[in-house]
Amino acid sequence: MAHILLVEDSPEVSMSVREILSAAGHTVAEAASGKQALEQLKAAKFDAIVSDIWMPEMDGIALLKEIRGGGSKIPIVVISGGAPNAPLTYTAPLAATFGANVVLYKPFEKEELLGAIKSVLG
Amino acid sequence: MTPPPVTSNAAPDSATGDLSLFGFIESVSDGVVIVDQQDRVVMANRAALGLIGHTRDATLGQPVAGAFRIFLERMRSRKPSGPMRFEHFYDNEWYMVQIYALVSPDGQSSTAYTIVLATEVSLRKRREFDFIETVAGLEEATRIAQMGTFKTIWQTGQIEWSPHMYTLHGVTPDTYNPASGGYAKFVHPDDRDYVQRANRDLAQGNAIANVQYRLVLNDDVLRWMRIDSRVLFDSSGAPYASFGTCQDITETKRREEELRELLRRNAILYEALEASPNGVAVLTAEETGLTILYVNAAFEQLTQHNSFSLNTAGLDALVTDDQSRVWRSFNAAMNASEGGAFEVDCRRRDGSVFPAQVELAAVRDHPGRAATAYVITVRDLTAEKERAAVLLQSQKMEALGQLSGGVAHEINNLLQPVIALSDLGADVLERDPGKAKQYFEVIGNSGRKAREVVRQVLTFARRDTPQLLSHDVLPLVIDAINLAAKGLPPNIVVETHLDLEDAKATLSATQISQVILNLMRNASDAMNGRGRIVVDLRRCAAEDVPAGMDRARPWIRLIVKDEGCGIDAQALARVFEPFFTTKPVGKGTGLGLSVVYSIVNTWGGTIKIDSEVDQGTTAVIYIPEQI
Repeated sequence: MAHILLVEDSPEVSMSVREILSAAGHTVAEAASGKQALEQLKAAKFDAIVSDIWMPEMDGIALLKEIRGGGSKIPIVVISGGAPNAPLTYTAPLAATFGANVVLYKPFEKEELLGAIKSVLG
Repeated sequence: MTPPPVTSNAAPDSATGDLSLFGFIESVSDGVVIVDQQDRVVMANRAALGLIGHTRDATLGQPVAGAFRIFLERMRSRKPSGPMRFEHFYDNEWYMVQIYALVSPDGQSSTAYTIVLATEVSLRKRREFDFIETVAGLEEATRIAQMGTFKTIWQTGQIEWSPHMYTLHGVTPDTYNPASGGYAKFVHPDDRDYVQRANRDLAQGNAIANVQYRLVLNDDVLRWMRIDSRVLFDSSGAPYASFGTCQDITETKRREEELRELLRRNAILYEALEASPNGVAVLTAEETGLTILYVNAAFEQLTQHNSFSLNTAGLDALVTDDQSRVWRSFNAAMNASEGGAFEVDCRRRDGSVFPAQVELAAVRDHPGRAATAYVITVRDLTAEKERAAVLLQSQKMEALGQLSGGVAHEINNLLQPVIALSDLGADVLERDPGKAKQYFEVIGNSGRKAREVVRQVLTFARRDTPQLLSHDVLPLVIDAINLAAKGLPPNIVVETHLDLEDAKATLSATQISQVILNLMRNASDAMNGRGRIVVDLRRCAAEDVPAGMDRARPWIRLIVKDEGCGIDAQALARVFEPFFTTKPVGKGTGLGLSVVYSIVNTWGGTIKIDSEVDQGTTAVIYIPEQI
């Protein structure tokens, strides 16, 4: 089982994703922005990150750049609210180019998320 | 002058008595007339009759008249030793006349006179005559025309100037002698060769006409002169003299130059008009009505009318509906000598139609007077309209994409807990009912948030525009503020300045509530949940009503002001766009101000947002007060 950092500003989404992960036996730490996530990453060691894109203070893309820019290879699963072809989702495909291992589009089934976590943890 | 009446030929009487002499006289080529003491013709030979054109019978016994009688009397009184000679002009011919007296045997008195008429007159004599006549005529003419005249006798080198000639050259007979030469000093250096050539031509016997050159007078004043001159010849055919006129044509030259410049400008204007991509027609307004004076190439191409066909058909032929409101106002403007711009459907000569902007400009000779002409410009709006339609369509598609993308994003986020927690809830329902209950609450909240998104989208799309009624504004605003304040974080202070008694407006309570809720929520978010919101409601003084709005009617002004982070200029320009938000997702739908904007529009009101980064934001809403 893994220790996962969940970065999500919507409390309902964060809660539901946390519940999926913890029900599967993972331990979860939550952050409401990229900035909070970076602080938690400094303080503790995580096996994977699940991150939203559009958040206050520091969004998911900036967070990706920060993490990958620092040379970290930690697995990252991006969860995006945009449909793959909707105009606002340009940041979701962008996430892959900035080093996201998997991009999931909300709303997703719990199996999709757990499968993604499993695949990135190898 | 009457001709010398010629007489004869009765038999020669005592005066001659010699038949052979008579025959001689009859045969000479000169005309010979013999008169008695009473000036009656006693004989006229054939040549004399031929010259004069009278018959012998009509002439004999008749007294001579006119110049002949004068000379005969002179002859009698002076008693000259020899014949008297004079020249006489008669019937376009020049005669040399000699009168001989036939003296009585005592030598004391003349018994008869013989007049000899000769047609042979020297060429020089004729030239001189012409000259005198010419000079006399020209001098009279030049005196009237303020011309200077000059005469040159080539063989003597004598040069004479008329008084005005001196004046033209800024000299007097005391200061300048034309015969002394040195005329070149008057002439502009560039023209000296030309003037000298003309003078040489004259000396060689060629008349000159319209020789134009510049004089440089004392004070460096340039004057344009024109010289015309003709040459008179002597009997040998050599130039004898010339006579000419000199005229100051400076003013004429100036006018010519002005005219040339005017024509040049006209040509440029004409070319410019012809090159214009817009149709241009020029009309003159006279008492008899309007006349199309000119249409340019673009006008002909656009309307298929030339000035002739348009004059025949009339201006109304240019539009599809000459009774339309806009065309009536076009005609009204024309009748009032005013200008204006009118968007009309233009009709070509072949009946086809194109949208056009027709601009009317009145041309006045004097400000305030009726127009003397009009300029009509026709601009084809077809391409512009097509571009605008394409742009509008793409904007619509963009807005639709933005709207659907925004809605999808919101709903997707809210569906995530619904799907995930309903699954998990089913799993834990029996094992951990407390947790399941918590899940269901989140599911329910997510559903309600989704409902709010849909509601806002529908408000934005004006699908559920409520019925607008006349309401007292103040109580609605107070209720709305109280409702909105309940949902705000505890560290937000709401300060109200409500000074609006008995002011009614046409709106709905829900709308007021939505507007105030959205603005106050924005204000709170801009201050991160800590700070002061000021709500101000009062009648707006006329001078505070923004330009472009009707200042004649009363307005209610609602202000919601914060001390928050502000909005930069770039974002400020987009705040009313649907789903444009400066807030992170989850915080704002990006629909708030769009909804406010559309609500205020349904009231016939206006909203303005003033903001500067870190200086706070002020939203001002103007609501038309019901009168």
